[in-house]
Parts: sequence; structure tokens; C-alpha cells
Amino acid sequence: MLFSSLIFLFAFLPLLILVYYAMPSKGRNAVLLLFSLVFYAWGEPKYLVYILASITIGYLAGLLIHRFRGKFMAKLAMILATVSTLGLLGYFKYADLFITTINGVIGSTIPLLKLALPIGISFYTFQILSYVIDVYRGNSEVQKNPINFGAYVVFFPQLIAGPIVRYVDIEQQLRTRHCSWDKAYRGAVRFLVGLGKKVLLANQLGALVAAFDGSAEQSVLFTWLSLIAYMMQLYLDFSGYSDMAIGLGRLFGFEFPENFNYPFLSVSLTEFWRRWHMTLGTWFRDYVYIPLGGNRVSKGRWLLNIIIVWGLTGFWHGAGWNFLLWGLIFGAALIGEKLWYGRFLEKNRWFGHIYTLVVFLFTLVLFRANNLTEALRGFSSLFGLHGQVLSNTEALYHLRSNLILLLVSVVACTPVPVRIMNRCEKSKLAPVVTILKPIGLVVILLLSTAFMVDGSFNPFLYFRF
Amino acid sequence: MKKLTLALLFALILAGGIAMFLGNTDVSLSERRQMAQWSDVAGSNLLSGNFMTKVENAAMDQFPLRDSFRALKANFLYRVMGKLDNNNLYIHNGSAAKLEYPLDELSVQNAISKFSKVQNSFLRNPKINIYTCIVPDKSYYLAQELGYPTLDYERMEQMFSEGLKGTSIQIYDLLDIDSYYATDPHWTQGELVPVAEYLAQQMGVPFHLEGATLHADGEFIGAYVGQSAMNLAKDELTYWDGGILENLKATDLSTGETIPVYNLEGRQGNDPYDFFLGGAAPLQVIENPDCPNNRELIIFRDSFGSSIAPLLAGSYRRVVLVDLRYMNSNVLNQYIRFSNQDVLFLYSTLILNQSSALR
Repeated sequence: MLFSSLIFLFAFLPLLILVYYAMPSKGRNAVLLLFSLVFYAWGEPKYLVYILASITIGYLAGLLIHRFRGKFMAKLAMILATVSTLGLLGYFKYADLFITTINGVIGSTIPLLKLALPIGISFYTFQILSYVIDVYRGNSEVQKNPINFGAYVVFFPQLIAGPIVRYVDIEQQLRTRHCSWDKAYRGAVRFLVGLGKKVLLANQLGALVAAFDGSAEQSVLFTWLSLIAYMMQLYLDFSGYSDMAIGLGRLFGFEFPENFNYPFLSVSLTEFWRRWHMTLGTWFRDYVYIPLGGNRVSKGRWLLNIIIVWGLTGFWHGAGWNFLLWGLIFGAALIGEKLWYGRFLEKNRWFGHIYTLVVFLFTLVLFRANNLTEALRGFSSLFGLHGQVLSNTEALYHLRSNLILLLVSVVACTPVPVRIMNRCEKSKLAPVVTILKPIGLVVILLLSTAFMVDGSFNPFLYFRF
Repeated sequence: MKKLTLALLFALILAGGIAMFLGNTDVSLSERRQMAQWSDVAGSNLLSGNFMTKVENAAMDQFPLRDSFRALKANFLYRVMGKLDNNNLYIHNGSAAKLEYPLDELSVQNAISKFSKVQNSFLRNPKINIYTCIVPDKSYYLAQELGYPTLDYERMEQMFSEGLKGTSIQIYDLLDIDSYYATDPHWTQGELVPVAEYLAQQMGVPFHLEGATLHADGEFIGAYVGQSAMNLAKDELTYWDGGILENLKATDLSTGETIPVYNLEGRQGNDPYDFFLGGAAPLQVIENPDCPNNRELIIFRDSFGSSIAPLLAGSYRRVVLVDLRYMNSNVLNQYIRFSNQDVLFLYSTLILNQSSALR
């Protein structure tokens, strides 16, 4: 089920709100668990067994670690849970990549498994791992209530595409959480802003990118146009989804961590990755980088740690060697910034802005490609190295047709709208804002509904993760 | 104010949801199609994912005020976001057209293969005269003027002339944007006399339309009105009748029933272009007892042929219309005795660029 679908918005959500708030507090986690399982099963009923298996593994591992704390069994339980959940992820996500690679290297003909990736497996695996490791480290109390644990793992707002919510962040809220009109209002606002970003902006940018993909003559102008559109689509789609997830969490009394902080304002890639998909970055920092020693080791080992973390980050994003390379490029760039030119970027902010945007833009060629060959071709197409024309009727048409969309999207990628709103709320215009804000929210709801009614299936970009 | 806002938003989504599930619209007149029903969902396999797809489709099709929401989206895109098209439809000076590009050479080749099979199977008699004619879509006249992307019409003509036998008849210069309905992809019969006359001339028959007069008969609400979801000005239906066309007799050969050349009931249905010969049918014939010659014309055609065939019927004793979208060409000789007819392959660029419907 998608947040940007009529069934979710006009059936699932209002029904859940009614049942949730009619239920006494003690039963609300069970309601969330039940509805979340329906939400998950809606898209892939047959893969429900895998998420339930992962939940069972995480839950039992937590109990065993708690029961045998300080003993070898606790460590064994942690290791087994880690291996089995990562094993499931590896099996579904990476098996065919390795089979293809082995076949290519040694000339074998091992048949591909062609497994469909269970939705959200990359996200819920990391959530379960964070719980198991934090219980083992003593950072979290064990969760003995299977309903509460299940609700944590499978809670629908962040189940499919994050933010990656660590158990320590939500532990207290699972037991007691405060629901208020103010929180619910802030949740509704956040949700609708995310819905607008997704449906009104990201999906339209996606249509432009799709037009490029279907084009018979991809001119240089169209190539650049589609890449810039894709960059903004990726951000608005993913951050819009995170907005909706955070907003939905608030509707039910939860506060989730932020996942984006206007990454296109960054002056370095180091800063960029502290603003983009922040929960993934901190997860890798706390569960991979720091356990490897972080920067408290020899210089050589430190650099290796960075490469390992970024290689894994790249691999997490997709089962392809192009994703690995994508991650390693960032690892190399971050090393370069840490060792050589990071300070220069901070002192020369405009240069830093341009450098960050251009490098990220170029890496998206790798990110979008299905393989390295396609990535190389895509990159050389940016400079017309395949004999493409500089521009053509089609490219100019799409530029004209999408100019306002592109400009609005650029603004939406910045904090300008929020800052203007905040200033107006604190100024003499506050009474006007008080009236206009609800109208704006209704307009977003109606417009998004209009697009959904007229549209068709529009999955989130990060659904393949 | 926050509570009021929340209450309003919740009331809207709750009301919308209830109305959505209570919806039971069978057909959309504006979109001219059957709507997905909640009853379609019953019996679906819950575990296959098919159930969810059907529910999502029913939700979209049964959502309350669907046409109004589609109009809201269209107006937002055109007037606020400055988009040049919505769902690949664009509007210029009140005329709507489909943004059809790029040229799908595989599709055109598929059409050519099917026509070639007909030519090789049934049209080898040297007494049969073969002609081909591509009907340009509205974008030929609109899009190029506006600088919008279009089909490669030259390439399509080249493929046709290289892939098919017969004389190519080109009618691009005989038409302009006013030759088409503003709200529909089809041309208006009222503007087709020069085209019919030229076709007749190229096929070596005198053009006869003596005594026929142009009639204008009420509104023509074309397909693009609903598809565009914009408030387009309605067209007027025009057609030629009387005189040498007075005694035309049309028959649907697949049913054996006599059909009106101009079907007044047909224009009230889902597709007002059904006014001409009752709409799409696999095999029809128009006989003209008043025609001064005994010649016979066979037109392999799409829907554009329905309106021009009556005008050509003035010049032929018998006009047979074959629609390969509804008829397999393998059985043609069970219905038609191919001997010395004029055979015209008359297809629009829209069908040729999406020829999967041809059998």
C-alpha cells in the first residue's frame, strides 16, 4: 500500500484513526501492529512470512541476550540473529548479483534465482539489527512484549522506506506516548506537505525523467534536464515520504527522527551526507564505523574503515556493482575532504555548493544505471560523446513545459518556504497565516487527490531498497 | 483553529472514503470507457496481489466527483504550472490534439506486414488497382507550428512506399487544422470534399457529389472533451447528404443487417463519431444504385474511413469497408470476391504508430 493512494488516504487512515483513538491506551500497540501487517500484506501478502520470521528472530534474540547476559550464549544469540537477518537480506537482494558475477568470471551457467525483493527488507532488517545490537550492548532494555516489539518493527509509517528508527529512539514511546491536538495537527501538516512534495512535484519530475527514458533521440540538453529533474525527484520523493512517515507517526503520538535537512545547501559531501538520509548515515556510523574503530585507529585503518562503510552504503542502495562504485566514490571524496580540501570548501562556500551539487549530480548517473556499461554511456552522453545533437525540439518542448515545475521544485528543495512561513507567523501577518494555512492544507489535499484520481500506480523510488 | 483544521481534514477524508465505497458508476461518458467496479473485486485471489490491484482501480474509478477532480488537475497543470500538455493532450486555440511521438518504426512495420500479407494473399490480380493513403493526425498541422515534437511523417511515408505495393496518395496539403474537429482526433466530413475528390481523381474515377448539400446538425462532443478534462468549446456536426447520396444503402456484412449511413442514434452514445456508419465494424458495404459506373472500391481502413466512405460512394457502385482491427484478414475471401476492384489502404498516423490492434 502507498501513502499516495486513495485506498490509504480515504480508507486505511481514517479507519485506523477511528479504531486507534477508540481503543484504550493499552491496546493501541496491538491496533498499530494489526493495521501495519495489513498495510504490508496489501502489497505483498506472500512475503508477510519473511517479515514475521525476521520479527521472531529479533524478538527471541533479545530475550536470549537478556536471559544469558554476560555469557557466551548472549553473544551467540546476537551473532545468530545478525547473521540470519542479514542472510535473508543478502539472499533476496544480492544472490542474483553474485550468481551473475560468478558466471561471468568463471564461465559457469548457474541459473538465476530471480527473487522478488520483499518490500522494505533493507529498512526493517536494519531496525531489527539495531535492536539486537543495542540490547546486547546494554543500550536498550529487552522488549518482552511481542506485540510491542512487532509494532516497533512493522509500524507502517516507516516500514517501507524509513526513516530507520532505532529501538532506543522509540522504546519509551512504545510504553507511553503523549497524543495531543497540537501533535496531531503538526503531524497532519507534515504529512500533507510530504504528500504534496511527492504527488505534485516528485511524480511530475518523474514523468519528465520517464519522457527522457522513452525518447528516441536523447539530446545533450535533454540528458542534463532529465538528470537535474531526477536529482530533485529523488530528494522530493524520498524526503516527501519521510515527511509523511514523520507526520503519520505524530498522528499516533510518536516522534520519529528527522531524515533530511536540506542536503542541497551543503558545501561539502561530508556535510551532504549529514543532511541526506540521516538515519542511514548514523546507523552505519554507530553499527559499522565505530565498531571498526572509527578514526581512533591508525591512519591507514581509518581510511579503510571509511571505504568499508561507504562500500556497504553503496551496496545497501542496490544490488549492483554500479552501486558499490557509487558508494566508493563518496568514500574517496570524503577522504579527500578530510585530508586535503575540506577546509577550502568551508571557506569558499559558493565553490563548495557547486562542487557538492555537481559531484552528487554526476554520481546519479551511476545510481540510475542498471549496470556499469550503461553508467559509462550515460556519463559520456552528458557531453555529447555519442554524437548526440546539442538540443532538439523534444528537449526544448520539455524544458518549456516543465519550467515552472523545475523552478518550484528548486525552491521546494530549500528551506525558503518554511522560513517565509515562520517569519509570517511571527509578524503582523500572523492572523492572515492563521486563516491561509488551513486553506493551504485543504488545497494540497484536494490537489493531491485530483492527481491520484487521474493517475495510476506511482511507487516511491526507494521501494527497491 | 488547529482542532477545526484537523476536524475539517478528517471529515473530508472520511466523507471521501465513504462516498468512494458507495460509488457504482458503470460507464464514464467523459472518458468513454467502462469503470472498474467494486463488484469486480469479489472472487479475486487475496494472496495473488490481484485483489489489491482491483481494489485500487475501483477506488480510482469510483471516487466521488471524479470528473471534477480530473478537471482540477488539468486546470492546475495548464494554468498554474504552465504545462503544455496533460496526459499527452495539448490544447491550442481551443483545438485539442494528442502529442504523438516518437515514430514507432516497429509498429509501422507491423502494420505494413499485415497489409502486405493482404496484398500478397488477395490482391495479386493485375486488374486490381492498389492505393495507399496515410491520414495525418492533427499534430501534423498544430505541433509543427508550435514547435512541439511530432512523428517523423516523412519516414512513415517512406516506410509505406517501400513496404507496400500500390500508388501512394498524399493528402497533407489538402487538409489543415480546421479540417478536424476541435474536440476530437477525427476529421470533419464537412471539410473532406477536396480530399475525396482528390482520392477519386488519383484512383481514376470521376468524382460525383451532385445535388448533395452540407448539413450542420447540433453539437459534436468529441473524445478529447472528456480526456482533456478541460472546458472545450463544443464542435458542430457537419455531413453531406442528399442528391447522389440520397439512395445510399449500407449493410453490416458481419450481421447482414441494413445500417444507416448516418446514424442519428450513434452520436448520442459513447463515441459520437459512430454517427458515420454506426461506428467501428469489421466489414461493411455501401451500395449506390445511382452511381453511373459499375466500379467497386475496397477500403482497408480505421475510423477515419467511416466519414469519407460515403463521399467516395458517390463515385462507386459499391464501397466495401474492411476494418482489420476487428477482422482477421485470413477470412477475407470468404466475404469478398477479389477481381478488379480499386483497393485503398487508408489509415491514420495514430493507428499506424500503435498498430498492435491490427489482426
